[in-house]
Order: sequence, then C-alpha cells, then structure tokens
Amino acid sequence: MIAAKTQNAVNFTEVFSTRTGAVYQCDRERCWYIDFAGKLVKFDYRGLMKLKTSIYRVNIEALLLDNSKSPEIEMVFICACNHCYFLNLLQIIALKELLEGTFVMLELNQIIHDRLSRIVI
Amino acid sequence: MKDIMRIKSLLSTDIEALLNQQIKKEAHSSALYLAMASWCNQNGFDYSSDYFSKQSDEERYHQLKLFKYVLDMGGSAISPEVSGIKHDYTSLREVFEDALEQEVAITQSFKNIAANCMKEQDFVTFEFLNWFMKEQREEEYKARRALELFEVIGEEGTGLWEIDKHVNKIKYDSEAAE
Ligand SMILES: [Fe+2]
Ligand SMILES: [Fe+2]
Repeated sequence: MIAAKTQNAVNFTEVFSTRTGAVYQCDRERCWYIDFAGKLVKFDYRGLMKLKTSIYRVNIEALLLDNSKSPEIEMVFICACNHCYFLNLLQIIALKELLEGTFVMLELNQIIHDRLSRIVI
Repeated sequence: MKDIMRIKSLLSTDIEALLNQQIKKEAHSSALYLAMASWCNQNGFDYSSDYFSKQSDEERYHQLKLFKYVLDMGGSAISPEVSGIKHDYTSLREVFEDALEQEVAITQSFKNIAANCMKEQDFVTFEFLNWFMKEQREEEYKARRALELFEVIGEEGTGLWEIDKHVNKIKYDSEAAE
C-alpha cells in the first residue's frame, strides 16, 4: 500500500496524505482525487460526503472482535460515483485515517478563507 | 486552494447531522402522537383523539420545515426511519404525561442544537431555530395545561369525560404568546 503516481498532475493541491494514500483537490474541476488502494478515484462534493459517511459508519471495533468471519473484507460501495472499494480491515482503518486528516485540513482551509479573504469592512 | 466545502453548503457537518437527528425526532413525535390518537379513539376519548391527530400533523410539518432548510442550505436531508412506537397505555393520564415528556425532550434537543450553533457561530441556523423555540413554548404550555386538567377536574365520576371535552379547548393566547 504505497501512494502512487499522482504527483505529476499540475492542477492538484495535496490536501492530506499518509503512508498509505493521499487526497488531492482540483480547483478547476471542483473535486477531489483520492489515491488509495492502488487506484486514483475522482469524487465530487456529494461523493466525498458519501464516502465519509460510509467509512465512518463501519464499526471497526465490532469487526476486530468478530472472529466468525474469516476473510476480513468489508465492501464499501459508493453509489454517487459508481465506484466500489473492496477493503480489508487494515485498509478501512487506513482510509478512515486519511479521510479524518482530509476533513481537518478542509476545515482549516475554510477558516483561512473566512479570516483572510471573507473579511467584510 | 478553493474552499469547495463552503461553496457547496452553508451547514457544517456537525450542524447538518444535528438537524438530521432533529428531523428524525420530529418524525418520531408525529408517529407517537398518532399512536396516542389511536389509543384515545379506541377507549372512547374522541376529543383527545382529535387533539393528538392534530398534534401528529403539526410534528410532520415541523419535520418538513427542518428537511427543507437542510436542503435549501446545500446539505443532504435524510428521510428518517421510525420504529419503536409505544401503543399501549394504562390510562388517559399516562398518555398526557408521555406527551408532555416528549415535548420537554424536544425542547432540550433544540436547546442543544442552538448551543452548537452558538459555539461555531452559525447564526444563520440559530436564527432559523427561533421559530421552533417559540413553537416549543406553545407545545409545552398545551401539554402542561392538559395534564393539569386531571388535577383541576379530577378523574372521579364523569371527570374523565369532562377532561376529554376540555382538551380541545386549550389555547396558548396569553400576552407572552405574541
Ligand atoms: Fe415538533
Ligand atoms: Fe411538538
């Protein structure tokens, strides 16, 4: 699980990255690209929010304690962008970490915009 | 880097989640009041049954008002699942006690949303909530007054019949109501 091949793209701003993946924002297309689990997938606003909901909803603790299921594969399906992730438990944890960091950075970006460019005099 | 999040929606994730929870609570209230209307009707309390039917409609209206607000502000409104509606009561008094309890819980819930709006300075949603704050004054008043009928009139003899007849006449029209 190594972040791959995306640095060369010109219009991308890195929002957040971890050892396992990265999220880039494309201002021109008003969307995000997530580089994770060996592929680069484009998400618009609705799609990103849906991904966030699906990942945050996964009960990681329950999956850890459940030893009845042998292959730890949880399917995460995001219908907004006809895209599917098939992830194991470690990948779910990694993607959640990536998204948490991403949303902190996006919130920070909003604060910066509020403070610097949305000042009404 | 553009602030795409803010361009798309006025609501923060937290406030949007709280509003969606409130949508669910209003739907739950609506279903609860309908169950109360059913119990009252089956036990011969026709006026109380009408009263709760109307309450149920009002809660549905509250639900839709919140629903529209979330959508208007660019958020995603969620149509809630409602389950676990109580249908069995042992007395008319118990029905009205539950109704007041429900309204108190709803008021608390709105106070909590307002506190969160204050915290993150979402004065737009805060102002929107004012309508509901005022509505809760009326809702609690009516529920409390209804329950007081059990003390004022008393349940003995034709008491319950009297109480039932009076329930529909409760109005919130004091000077403070305007
Ligand atoms: Fe309500
Ligand atoms: Fe109410």
